[in-house]
Amino acid sequence: MIVGKRHNMVKKSSLEEFRVLEKYGIQPLPYGIAKTPKEAVALAEKIGYPVALKLVSPQVTHKTDVGGVKIGIKDKKRLLHAHEDILEGAKKYEIEGVLVQKMARKGIELIIGGKKDPQFGHMIVLGIGGVYVEVFKDVTARICPITRTDVREMVGELRSHPLITGIRGMQPINLNGLYSLMVRTSKMMVEEDMKELDLNPVIFDSKGYDIVDVRFVK
Amino acid sequence: MRKDIANLKYVFSPKSIAIVGASDNPAKLGNVILKNLIDGAYKGKIYPVNPKYDKLLGLECYSDIKKIKKKVDLAIFAIPAHIVPKVAEDCGKKGVRGLVVLSAGFGEVGNIKLEGQLKKVVLKYNMAMIGPNCLGVMNPAERVDSIFFPFYKFGRPHVGGISLATQSGAVGSCVADLAADYGVGFAKFASYGNGTTISDADLIEYFGADPKTEQILVYLEGTKNGKKLLEVLEQVNKKKPIIILKAGKSKSASEAAMSHTGNLAGNYLAYQAAFRQSKVIEVDSVVDLFYVANMFSQPLPKGGKVAVLTDGGGLGVLSADALEREGLDVVKFSKKTKQKLKKVLPEYVNVVNPLDIVADSGTETYRKSLKVLMDDPKIDSVIVIILFQAPAVDSRIIDVLVKQSDRRKKPIVVVAVGGEYTKENRKILDGYGIPTYGCPKSAVRTLKKFTDYSLFLKNKK
Repeated sequence: MIVGKRHNMVKKSSLEEFRVLEKYGIQPLPYGIAKTPKEAVALAEKIGYPVALKLVSPQVTHKTDVGGVKIGIKDKKRLLHAHEDILEGAKKYEIEGVLVQKMARKGIELIIGGKKDPQFGHMIVLGIGGVYVEVFKDVTARICPITRTDVREMVGELRSHPLITGIRGMQPINLNGLYSLMVRTSKMMVEEDMKELDLNPVIFDSKGYDIVDVRFVK
Repeated sequence: MRKDIANLKYVFSPKSIAIVGASDNPAKLGNVILKNLIDGAYKGKIYPVNPKYDKLLGLECYSDIKKIKKKVDLAIFAIPAHIVPKVAEDCGKKGVRGLVVLSAGFGEVGNIKLEGQLKKVVLKYNMAMIGPNCLGVMNPAERVDSIFFPFYKFGRPHVGGISLATQSGAVGSCVADLAADYGVGFAKFASYGNGTTISDADLIEYFGADPKTEQILVYLEGTKNGKKLLEVLEQVNKKKPIIILKAGKSKSASEAAMSHTGNLAGNYLAYQAAFRQSKVIEVDSVVDLFYVANMFSQPLPKGGKVAVLTDGGGLGVLSADALEREGLDVVKFSKKTKQKLKKVLPEYVNVVNPLDIVADSGTETYRKSLKVLMDDPKIDSVIVIILFQAPAVDSRIIDVLVKQSDRRKKPIVVVAVGGEYTKENRKILDGYGIPTYGCPKSAVRTLKKFTDYSLFLKNKK
């Protein structure tokens, strides 16, 4: 079973499956799928502005190519305008709806992942995330279960750890949030017997974090 | 501890050894091993077994293991693979407790069934088995030696505190040969080959409980039981340092990963995770295994503050570079230490760390300045660089170093770069338990691992 598609998490069964994450107190950035402009407004008001809108269409792989992504939408007027633009740009395609998601904070993009290793069992991975994750390959791992101390050590093992702990006046990220998210993720990996898991990116700033995208294989 | 693992004492300290497949042909393993046991002055009983001979190298030769009337603790097999399970059964019936099976031709070439048969027999009798497909064992203190390399080709390490568990006989023998060359001693050596019943984690567990073992070296390609390995590493590394070299780090292509994590986490990442979790010392080359083990002859440093003493400026700078790269601290000398150093050094010496006492300094200058550095409690370890090539330096410097090293205050690490003359002096120092390195980089890299382990133990308390 695969849950969530990279970059949008809109696979139909996903809502059900995200309950699994919520069971462990792991909350992806709030989102919903709107079929109509009215629904989009209602969702945005429920989630809270600013929001991002993303086209949901099985035929469009690169949403940005058809103007299918609008970010930083601050109010109802702008939302309706953006919604119209998205539908206009994608009118040649089959449209399932528009994803309304809370705007992620700006900050450091990390990847938190997991894998079931044939020899060692479940392991948890922490690294510098985002688009370049497989270029930098700046990751470190532990065998589950882990403790907060393990996470603290893992941070120190990353080549780019100053990004996390703060450089030259930059505030460190919310380490407490990172520690508990990692420990919860480790617990979930084991208890749900997941084969593979990606939380990527998880965007951290000094106050907290947003899990933008989730994907797992059971 | 599993019964067969506990029986490893009959493998490492047998009172009697049978060599099944003993031979009078010097090209055969069964001849080399027999000869090595006799020439190596093994004190227990030796029983050659081979139906072709009545006598071998002056010893009575038996046609069959069952024909030996007296007790046999260990049987070394140098016989074709297909008869191994049958002979193992005979050994089990006779009450032999330990087996070293050198024979190849089992799972490693696809004969999984034959290996399964052997495993069944061995476990039925709770025999401790090393192998098959291996070099076997050495215990220098008791002259137990199943390595089928002649003495003149392969140096045997003398008695010491290092125990080695190696999946590869080749890598293991290189480490032992290097150790012998540098006068660094071994407690136990085990090349476990296929590790059919006794494997990586079992040997580490056994060495952990062995009073003669002070450091444990491991060469590993892959484990069959990662969970057990991690558990044993965590337990044992708190008591004795484990230095591990993992080969086969390239990503396994067999699994098509669905996620970023799956792609990033090749097979090695899990091993690395386990090593980091248990805080064992991971190295990435064969010589590093030996380098790190060698440093444990020195006392553990209290922290990462390092002083460098040198009679050559360039090597001092290279050391400082390496220290910074590794995250060790090129400590600033305190006022008091500076004053003390000024008193013993010529006027033209700039009293900073790295301390370059310049090439025309002799042994006496080393003696005085090293003492000052050793007395400063704010310095955790001292790297001493010696240009043995310089005319003012002579062999008396060894005496200076040994005297300070014997105080056991903090680690002294020597860097000496050079040819024949330098190497001779290095060997003498290594023999005294003062680790020497042929370049600043390997000295510093090793010191970093040594310091990290020390801090790990400190934090545990």
